[in-house]
Amino acid sequence: MSGWRTLFPNAWYIAMREYRGRVRARSFVIGTGLLAVIAFGAAQLPILIDLSLSTSQTRVAVVVTATGMPSDSLAVLDRQLNGQSADPNAHKAYVLSWMPGGDVASARKDLEAGKTGALLVIDRDAAGDLRFSIRTDMPADGRVVQSMTPALTSLEIEDRLFRAGTSTAALLAPYDLTVSPVKGSPGGGRDASTEISNYLLSTGLIVLIFMAIVTYGVWVAMSVAEEKGSRVMELMLNATTPMQMLAGKMLGNGAAALTQYGLILASVVGGLLAQAPIHKAVVGTESSAQFGGLSPSVIGAFVVLFILGFTLYSLLYAALGSLVSRQEDVQSATSPLMVMIMAGYFMSVAGLQAIDETWVRVASFVPFFSPYLMLARVSAGHVEAWEFGLAVVLLLAAIAVALFVAARIYSAGVLLYGQRVGLRQIIRAARVPR
Amino acid sequence: MALLIESVSKAFGEVKALDGISLEINPGEVFGFLGANGAGKTTAMRIVLDIIRPDSGSVTWNGRLNTELPRETWGYLPEERGLYAKMTVLEQLVFFANLQGVRGKAAVRETRDWLERFRIPDYADRRAEQLSKGNQQKVQFIAAILHDPQVLLMDEPFTGLDPVNVALLKQAFLELKDRGKTIVFSTHQMETVEEMCESIAILDRGRVVVAGSVRDVRRSTGRQMVRLAVQGDSEIAWLGTLDGVHVTRRGQDYTEAEVAPGHDPGTILAAALSRGCEVRHFQMTDPSLEQVFIERVGQIDATERTLAPSAVQR
Repeated sequence: MSGWRTLFPNAWYIAMREYRGRVRARSFVIGTGLLAVIAFGAAQLPILIDLSLSTSQTRVAVVVTATGMPSDSLAVLDRQLNGQSADPNAHKAYVLSWMPGGDVASARKDLEAGKTGALLVIDRDAAGDLRFSIRTDMPADGRVVQSMTPALTSLEIEDRLFRAGTSTAALLAPYDLTVSPVKGSPGGGRDASTEISNYLLSTGLIVLIFMAIVTYGVWVAMSVAEEKGSRVMELMLNATTPMQMLAGKMLGNGAAALTQYGLILASVVGGLLAQAPIHKAVVGTESSAQFGGLSPSVIGAFVVLFILGFTLYSLLYAALGSLVSRQEDVQSATSPLMVMIMAGYFMSVAGLQAIDETWVRVASFVPFFSPYLMLARVSAGHVEAWEFGLAVVLLLAAIAVALFVAARIYSAGVLLYGQRVGLRQIIRAARVPR
Repeated sequence: MALLIESVSKAFGEVKALDGISLEINPGEVFGFLGANGAGKTTAMRIVLDIIRPDSGSVTWNGRLNTELPRETWGYLPEERGLYAKMTVLEQLVFFANLQGVRGKAAVRETRDWLERFRIPDYADRRAEQLSKGNQQKVQFIAAILHDPQVLLMDEPFTGLDPVNVALLKQAFLELKDRGKTIVFSTHQMETVEEMCESIAILDRGRVVVAGSVRDVRRSTGRQMVRLAVQGDSEIAWLGTLDGVHVTRRGQDYTEAEVAPGHDPGTILAAALSRGCEVRHFQMTDPSLEQVFIERVGQIDATERTLAPSAVQR
């Protein structure tokens, strides 16, 4: 293994060639552009939703024949329908015209003429409870009726309480409640919303790593098989060592992967940053969307695990890619690896539900799964520094072993043509040193 | 001070690709590897290049083991030709030059220089996939020699080239030889070997059948060839009746006969004169390499089949 000493500059030249080849390919340019546009667009989705809500407005005529209702009834109804907003200019989905003792017949004429979207008549039944009737052409399960129902429930309760001589304010007055963690255990003292946003964040990051390994790992295998298929490999074999080729391919494809990921992520961040001003301009109100709980330590862990995980898997991809003679065979040759990657992915998705379980902790140290599971634990905030360190050390050790094994399989594999390569041949190839 | 291959053996599973071959190739020499398909020529070259390791034996160049020599020592034109289809000719030649230790502007200069010499300077900026097979082959040849290696190993360099390009390549060979390079190449074309090589080795089933200077190899059978033409008799029917003489070719121009070891070819001329023939052409030569090749390789083939059938399992 004299390749160790002389890894550079040849690995660098190979990496440069791989990188240029990837980045210049039309599929890369178009794919990246498309994904970046989609990512930017996805970041603007809240605007579209808010916009569709803000442009629609329903006028509701409320004819009140009932008497003795609480004085804040209109305010309660308005608040329930339009939400609470400090901004007096905020958009209102419902405009209420409150007509105590109004004329139902003329209100119906307005409704039939389309001047109003709905007519609400409030009176009292024999028991003295409020009775509501809604007349509208909108579907019974549509948004108007759907949001009207809880509002009317509130109104009914408010009225009954009023008649009973109390109020909701008195009923819902705050009381004392203290929640304290058990001896500072991890995860204690977090509120539920942090837990939920961490869960979403973890899932997102795991998917990012999963996608990168699957997509770009196959690139490495493809590029090996391509060289073999076009027989350039024969020229390369004399010009370089297998170790240099492996390192170069990893670096080149890894850099191309990071370029694509970087551009897409930049587009997402750009989209999110642009979202606020666009939202203000289009919708006229402040955006309600916010950045998730991305802390520097989570980003750091993501980058470290991303790079190490990609390195480990791409080494194996390169080794398996060297065993086939045609690019078409890459998929089937790398399927065992795919199974392993999927296993890690599903384990981590399941593990997110049970982040403190023993099996999750144990598996988060296992090199092939740690890129996912340790990341899940870090982003959930349930991890000690030494645990992360240990996982990284184990990953590095696994990479060293994989490099050794992969270089051997690779140097033997690239010379095998036209054979169906089975496990026995792989083992034999790995045994014979070059 | 030579390229020494010593008792090198290599087996792939059941198949013995090389069975203890030893060769000495002198520096500055053009050396030809002859052998049928599967004789072990490519394996031998790959072992010299340290692309694969032998099961036993060693390879040294000027006293240093091939495993310790820098890769730039060798220039290799593989039998299976291939280039990066999407890269331009210039790009990939500079890439290969870089890998072999030629850096910066020197790499570009050398590349353009060689493209010029092979009369394809306009192809520098074309993608490899746009080139004809012959031109691709020239590009590959350039890739093998750009870094000015001490030893050139070429696997079937002349196959697939048209006569003009064969001439160009032979010219390049001679130029490299004049620069003191050692050139080893394999081929099926006997005329090329007789024209270019000082020494050769004939391989068969992983063994060296015969090796040495071209003249020695041609004489190695002990046979001599006689070409005879007489006025008015194109058949020369009596020639085959002579003791130790075997007619190998009858033609309008001359009749060729093989004279077994220990027999004097001069007796043929004497016999012709004693019969009163008017001799128009009489020539004594060594057997051609092709004849040696067919005889040696065919012979070993036969003995192995009859004596040791169990050893030929494939």
